[in-house]
Amino acid sequence: MENLLYVGKSVPRKDGPLKATGRAQYTVDLSLPGMLVGKVLRSPYPHARILSIDTSKANKLPGVKAVVTAADSLQIKHGFVETPRYPADQYPLAVDTVRHVGEDVAGVAAIDEDTAEEALSLIKVEYEPLPAVFDPEEAMKPEAPEIHPNHPKANEPYRNIGGKTETGWGDLEKAFNESYLIREDKYTCQMRAHGYLEPQATVAHFDYSGKLNVWTSSMGVFIKRAKLAKTLGLPYGQVRVLKTYVGGAFGGKIDLFHHEYISALLSMKCHLPVKIVYSREEVFKAARHGQPLIVQIKTGVAKDGAILGQEIRTINDSGAYHGSGVVVIFLAWGFAMAPYRVPNMKYEGYSIYTNNLVRAPQRGHGAPKMRFAAESQFDMIAEELGIDPIEFRLRNARKPGELLPNGDSVKNFGLIECITRVDHRTDFKNKYATAIRERETDSKIKRGIGIGTTAYFGGSLIYPNSSSVIVKLNDDASVSLMTGALDVGQGCETVLCQIAAEELAVPVEEVQVYAADTETTPVDIGSWISGLTYVTGNATKKAAAQAMKKLLVIAAEELKADVKDLATHHKEIFVNHSPDRRISYAQAIAASIAKNRGDSVIGEGHFRTMKDEPTHPSLATAKGRWTENYSSYATVAEVEVDTETGLVKILKATTAHDCGFPLNPTLVEGQIDGQVSMGQGHMLTEALRVEKGCVINPSFLEYKMPCALDMVETDYIDVITEKYQKDRHYNTKEVGEGYVSGTVAAVANAVYNATGVRLKQTPFSPDRVLDGLEQTAKRKEG
Amino acid sequence: MKKLPKQLISLKVNGYEYEVAVRPNRTLLEVLREDLRLTGTKEGCDDGSCGTCTVLLEGVPLRACLCLAVAVQGKEVTTIEGLAEGDQLHPIQRAFVDHGAIQCGYCSPGMILTAKALLDTTPAPTEQDIKLAISGNFCRCTGYNKIVRAIKIASQNAAGGK
Repeated sequence: MENLLYVGKSVPRKDGPLKATGRAQYTVDLSLPGMLVGKVLRSPYPHARILSIDTSKANKLPGVKAVVTAADSLQIKHGFVETPRYPADQYPLAVDTVRHVGEDVAGVAAIDEDTAEEALSLIKVEYEPLPAVFDPEEAMKPEAPEIHPNHPKANEPYRNIGGKTETGWGDLEKAFNESYLIREDKYTCQMRAHGYLEPQATVAHFDYSGKLNVWTSSMGVFIKRAKLAKTLGLPYGQVRVLKTYVGGAFGGKIDLFHHEYISALLSMKCHLPVKIVYSREEVFKAARHGQPLIVQIKTGVAKDGAILGQEIRTINDSGAYHGSGVVVIFLAWGFAMAPYRVPNMKYEGYSIYTNNLVRAPQRGHGAPKMRFAAESQFDMIAEELGIDPIEFRLRNARKPGELLPNGDSVKNFGLIECITRVDHRTDFKNKYATAIRERETDSKIKRGIGIGTTAYFGGSLIYPNSSSVIVKLNDDASVSLMTGALDVGQGCETVLCQIAAEELAVPVEEVQVYAADTETTPVDIGSWISGLTYVTGNATKKAAAQAMKKLLVIAAEELKADVKDLATHHKEIFVNHSPDRRISYAQAIAASIAKNRGDSVIGEGHFRTMKDEPTHPSLATAKGRWTENYSSYATVAEVEVDTETGLVKILKATTAHDCGFPLNPTLVEGQIDGQVSMGQGHMLTEALRVEKGCVINPSFLEYKMPCALDMVETDYIDVITEKYQKDRHYNTKEVGEGYVSGTVAAVANAVYNATGVRLKQTPFSPDRVLDGLEQTAKRKEG
Repeated sequence: MKKLPKQLISLKVNGYEYEVAVRPNRTLLEVLREDLRLTGTKEGCDDGSCGTCTVLLEGVPLRACLCLAVAVQGKEVTTIEGLAEGDQLHPIQRAFVDHGAIQCGYCSPGMILTAKALLDTTPAPTEQDIKLAISGNFCRCTGYNKIVRAIKIASQNAAGGK
């Protein structure tokens, strides 16, 4: 690595002091003069026809300033994906039919919360309940009630198909015929909440100039502007979405949420600011949650463990509308084929409409489920072949430079190195063998070790596709960085400042970020497809480099020297070998203003991933380039299983990760720790329980997320495969979401190693573990 | 719905005396955030399960969402706004910032105040002491590792006179 001043260093996060002192303003903290309290009336039925809505009493209640229903709206549908194959399928306020419990039917704005609540109770809605279906496999049967009768059918012969991804390559039949061993298994994962601590919240103010100003707890302001403008029928120039600090998102705050639309519509009716904040119960019962997924996987291998072919079928319960269901079935294919060579493949993914809540992406978006399935099966196959889990993976892991079936290259892919190094660091093989020997001892506590691996994409082409950044030097040579990026806690503002500081050789403390305002900052890809550090980071690098170049050109003129002979130190530019000839940055800026007709030194940078690709890959066929940068990870989990209580404890998680290179090591570690914790929740305790479409454990008391006493010891191994260089763009890979899967898969395999119990359904709750132990014991006796 | 009449109460928050008229059913959290505009104290669940709204009452951690404002009259309340002196961060805040213990920051005010109460009574806590003390404060971002470490470092710095 070159001699770097700021990039690659653990610079403390820029917003740390604001957050530590309680001064950072989140959407929930906003208060504007005259602001009203907004509330949403929701459907109590999973599927019903709306016969009538009477809002007259609510409208007359003193203190109520606005009431809205679909009749007040333009009735324009929207969707997470809007393509000819998957047209928008969801109204922001229900028109004629509700398709899930909690669907938005009406909104009110009133002077205080009590009045708003009372107004909701005065709205009379007459429903005619319709038959409903909640299980995706039931919903596929011909006799199931049809949830979207007029929706274009993605594919027959099943019912309620919201989306289908179908792809494959090679000759699978031949591969299976030649296989020494074939295994077929079915795995299922539960629905989980995102668990962001700041609830969904929006403040909308349609002011008298005709502009809609929106502050909302989200993952990117430009996507929100696009969806609000479309559904409200406003031009982009009339919708301004502004930054607030975001109290966690994890995938759950992307796409249009209806309270955002409703608060805007209410404000358009009364010209006063309207604030809607979900209660925690509302978050659990009505917001979007993660994707439960069923994965059927059939794998054929040669005697030496080489994978010859795979047939995979995934079924996603997308809930009442598409949400991100049509995307997760595409992504699940990607997470199956990216880390390991699969020479012959048939993949079918179905996204099924049901009368459940709509789904959002959730950290990893399908990867934890796919890797749980594939990696559990890998270990089963390896055991049957008498190969150890490490060797099996090394035999099949993709090597640097390999081309994927969609045309992507994995480039400097570090998976093999990750597996090798995590194996050595944890003394894997020794501990693995010991655990198997000790299964037979009398001890009630069993220990085990397991490995899980992942590859993950780093940015793809989906609106807004690209990022632009402006870097402005001020008279005193301090730096203003304008970016549309919204920091959701991962620390992107800090990383972008580090890059600007590096390029301009100014102290990172002197770079000030102005972020996430659709009006005053340039477009940004957003904090939601794992491409921000790559895309916005490179745009920042280009913008800062351009400003630096301008500065050097004017300095060369002033010093009567050649640009290539100049060097910088402490915000001064001097001539190499003649350090007396020097000029400060501030003097150079003043010279530029004086001599270049007022050019105050501003740099702009733009970056788009996959510059030669027109659009994202086909969700239907998976054809087309997906991403430029594949991260890889190998995780080893060490667990303890109490065979009397069925309780699983994760003792330690060691991750070897190839994120290219860490731009900020502390932030990278923070991402990994957070994902271990999420993987832990996925595997052990978190599950939303749903009855007839209604979440019946809608509080943190009944939905158990990991607390500090559950903390898992973590260890990290940096596998460096890329570098930061001057005068060219850098490659970096994601580190924000792929790793959840490594934890999930590693824990599943470690529990097996400890106990001999192979569970195929998450979470591994005590009752499932005990049941597994009982069945394993019976099999042995039988 | 009939509203209860307001009462005039006196609240001592971060060393200041505030006189506010509140209805007796309003929580300390609501009054801090809405009447006094001290929005550093966050709401996460409204049922006492997440710890986000933690403040100190006479130095002891308290969930402000479970406590009525009228019940703490005359007692000293400390919120996150009362910790730093101007731009000078409290040593625990400093340690959180410097050692990666903050990501989205939503749990940080409650977490930092809980840590302060711990270090005030247990200046040299073990790792288990720290985990136990903050076990009622959820953090979804960090997995707790860097928070526990930051609290440990803050305690060591205090012992070393830093």
